[in-house]
Amino acid sequence: MKTFVKTLTLGLTAGAIAAPAMAQELSLWSWRQEDRAVYEELIAAFEAEHPEITVTFEAFEASSYATILSTALAGDSGPDLMMVRAYGAFEAVAGANYLMPLTEADVPGLADMTAPAIAAQTLRADGKVYGVPFASQTMLVIYNKGIYEQLGLSEPQTWDELMANAKAVKDAGMYAFANGTATAWQNETIVSALTSSVVGSEFFDEIVAGTTDFTDPRYVSGLQHLQDISAYFPDGFTGLDYASSQQLFASGMAAMFAGGSFEIANFRAQNPDLEIGVFAAPGEAAEDEKLVGVFFDGGYAGNATTEHPEAVKAFLAYTATPEFGQVFANKLRNITPIAGVTLEDGLLNEIAELNRAAVPYIMLTNFRYEEPSGSVLLQAEVQKMLAGESTPEEAAEAVTSGIATYYAPFQD
Amino acid sequence: MPAPTLNGISRTPARTPRLRVSGRGLWITFLLVPPVVVMALFVIYPIFSALAYAFYDWQGLARGDFVGFANFEKVLFQQPFAATTWNAFKNNIFVFFALMIIQNGLGFILAYALWRDLPGARFHRIAVFLPVVLSTVIIGYVWKLFFHPIFGAVNQLLKAVGLGSLATPWLGDADTALNALIFVNAWAWVGFPTLVFLAGLQRIPSEILDAARMETDSELTLIRRVIWPLIAPSATVCFVLLFIGSFNWFELPYIMVGLDGSPYGNTDVLGLYFYRTAFGNQSAGIQDFGMGSALAVLMFLFIAVVATTWTIYLRKREIEV
Amino acid sequence: MSMESRYDKPGLLATYGRDGLMQIILIANTVLMLFPIAIMVMSGFKSNIEIFQDPFSIPDFTNVSNFVAMATETAFMRYLLNSVVVTGASIFLLLTLGLMAAYAIARYEFWGSSFLLLFFMAGLMVPLKLAIIPLFILFRDMGILNTHWALIAVYTAMGLPSTVFIMTGFIRTLPRELEDAARMDGASEFRIMVSVMIPLCRPAMVIAGIYNLVPIWNDFFFPLVFIQNDALKTLPQGMTSFIGEYATDWGVMFAGLTLAAAPITIIYIILSKQFINGMTAGAVK
Repeated sequence: MKTFVKTLTLGLTAGAIAAPAMAQELSLWSWRQEDRAVYEELIAAFEAEHPEITVTFEAFEASSYATILSTALAGDSGPDLMMVRAYGAFEAVAGANYLMPLTEADVPGLADMTAPAIAAQTLRADGKVYGVPFASQTMLVIYNKGIYEQLGLSEPQTWDELMANAKAVKDAGMYAFANGTATAWQNETIVSALTSSVVGSEFFDEIVAGTTDFTDPRYVSGLQHLQDISAYFPDGFTGLDYASSQQLFASGMAAMFAGGSFEIANFRAQNPDLEIGVFAAPGEAAEDEKLVGVFFDGGYAGNATTEHPEAVKAFLAYTATPEFGQVFANKLRNITPIAGVTLEDGLLNEIAELNRAAVPYIMLTNFRYEEPSGSVLLQAEVQKMLAGESTPEEAAEAVTSGIATYYAPFQD
Repeated sequence: MPAPTLNGISRTPARTPRLRVSGRGLWITFLLVPPVVVMALFVIYPIFSALAYAFYDWQGLARGDFVGFANFEKVLFQQPFAATTWNAFKNNIFVFFALMIIQNGLGFILAYALWRDLPGARFHRIAVFLPVVLSTVIIGYVWKLFFHPIFGAVNQLLKAVGLGSLATPWLGDADTALNALIFVNAWAWVGFPTLVFLAGLQRIPSEILDAARMETDSELTLIRRVIWPLIAPSATVCFVLLFIGSFNWFELPYIMVGLDGSPYGNTDVLGLYFYRTAFGNQSAGIQDFGMGSALAVLMFLFIAVVATTWTIYLRKREIEV
Repeated sequence: MSMESRYDKPGLLATYGRDGLMQIILIANTVLMLFPIAIMVMSGFKSNIEIFQDPFSIPDFTNVSNFVAMATETAFMRYLLNSVVVTGASIFLLLTLGLMAAYAIARYEFWGSSFLLLFFMAGLMVPLKLAIIPLFILFRDMGILNTHWALIAVYTAMGLPSTVFIMTGFIRTLPRELEDAARMDGASEFRIMVSVMIPLCRPAMVIAGIYNLVPIWNDFFFPLVFIQNDALKTLPQGMTSFIGEYATDWGVMFAGLTLAAAPITIIYIILSKQFINGMTAGAVK
């Protein structure tokens, strides 16, 4: 008995001494409260490979996450690891030297990611990467397969077919589109989801290069097409907010919803019986490239002042591996930029397929770095245009001149 | 036992020995220090800091360089920020005048009606004040659902009584959105001026009224010449509080039309613009404490100067009567 | 008030006509006030389909599933508790501190006392919302951002001016005899305040308490900025969470709004006289 106690005591003491010397405790902050279970599973897999590291997942409400994170970082009480947004919101954090720069030596997975994915987590000022991008979102048309079958419709190949489909649904006494414009940011999503193909990818190449602006006839024509098709939005759509639009589609009252791929999980949760399909809104002619708008949600980043930089790098490297991507994509139903991941979900596969012909979700990817952001301008101008208070030309002009106040290529 | 002194001013010190005087000083200090510290720390200091912050360039939460009046220049004169500021200011002014007429005007009429002490007056008084105690968040959400273009009770009611042609997306239409918000605000708050006016009316001595009634047959003349001047203090309170409230307007538009003053700025007010600028607009904007502080300082100065001047003017009017 | 003298001159008919009009105005207004609230409550007992197709029908009041969903599936009870804690602590603190300041100002002669009253009164005019940025930074530096203390601090400061104003006016009207008698019996200043003056101040404390209770209980702006942790949210802010969560289920939303309105409505109906006196207190002075 005595020996047993002695052994036990010794063992415990040894354990107690060994543990703190080895343990590296990392915190991981996120705005995805609803993804906690999956993240804990991912973390458990990482800890199994790295027994000396423990990672604690902590989630905050999405709408206030940016404020919480920047407050904590400015007060030197930030986490070791964190989810950061992309583009302009990413630069607000990365630009203040709060984040650890990452190289392909630290995170080998970065080498296999596409340029737009890397760009979303790159600080333009120094060209360094500060985050591992984790998911892309796609702007497209989500449709109710049941209604399409019932009315004998098929996925449109031309703009006229899309209009004809919408008319057929409306004539049948249902809502063609569920979209409304009362919530400002919805105006930006419908532009990308409905008009990318009409505008065409050359325009987007040129706008990124700074050789054209939004008064370009191709973009104006896109806005004109949006105005045309808004005839098939619900009556009173100018007073229809985001939640109401979601409700119209999820309840099966509307045939189509122009918006982001991130809606699908919500629609499925609201109404598991709904059969959902997706397509890219077509261009004028059947042979025009069918384009979707794409952006990256955010990335995983490390704190520049962490006490455990090696452990942080190890975890970040893990977030760029196919093992991580496989679980991330299939359990959270997201499209990952990590190469070599197979998607089990049919719809997700379809979206990944559509992503091969994509243009950037332009106001977010390129014009949300300074005030007034292209997003703020576009949202208000499209809202105004669709309410019949301005023309596509006027909307394009107002957006361009707003951005021109700080963006040199638009100034002449 | 010494007789109590008649001279009230020096009464206490005169009676208390020296040691007690310093004890008394300590006691007064003990009573005053905590409340004064709370006021200084959480009211005075922040107000003056806001003034200082407006002169700096901010990178998120980190204070950058001193930039003089640059932030003020931006929000007042530099496009497109200036256009937003003036548009919001214009809407605040519209809200104030509309509420002056609807909310305070109706409040006076209701107060007059309640004052007559007709059967059921007690019940009516409780009913008119009920929305005042409810949270703006509740009121905003309830009316937002009522104004829903398709399923809302307002449009359904219009259709039910054969006025379906008047149905409109109330909060989405530039012509109706701000008016709808003003209506909801008046609905929620009319009880306040009603009861303040009523309290004023109830203080009028009945002898004055009886005497006045001997001289005129017209109730309107009586209201204009006698009653209205006598309840001037109530009017001062209703006017000034409405002014401060109108230029601080935030919760109701935030809940009902969102941070952007949708549709396209038609319901934008300074409170929304300030919040958007200072704390960022999640879907589109950037956080700027410098510009936000400049807006706050301008709003503060405007409210303080106008409210103080107006109060002094209105109070003078009260005395002259 | 003598009815005869008020009414005999213009003639009975005119008086009845006018009072008839006034009665119609009052009834119309009461309907306008209560009808929306009745629709809100009734919709809480309905499903989406019922609300959309028959918004004004009387529901089956035994169907409380929406209310059950709201009370059990959301953090409603948590938010309610937070509101009670924050409001209770703030009211307690602002009454205590307000009474201390008012007592000193009203009861003792000392250098600078009228300046102090002015100092507090100036706070009545300050829209503290506009100082939100410095408060945010101050609370961050104090380490109380995202805690109830941030709210309690700001509510206490916000409520102090009106409390000092109401209490000073009231204490000045109190007779000095009791206090002098106690002083002559050798009671300490502390004892005089606690056992003689505070009991006398109760009516003013009720007024000041109610005057501040409603805006604090209903405040949405400060938690919106200071509180990010869902478990710490107060009811008005928490409402935006569960409204967001149930945005497509109108019945549950109306049930939640009804539940959120219930506590203050019930207290108001029971204590309507005190509420009306309290909330119009600053105005009637």
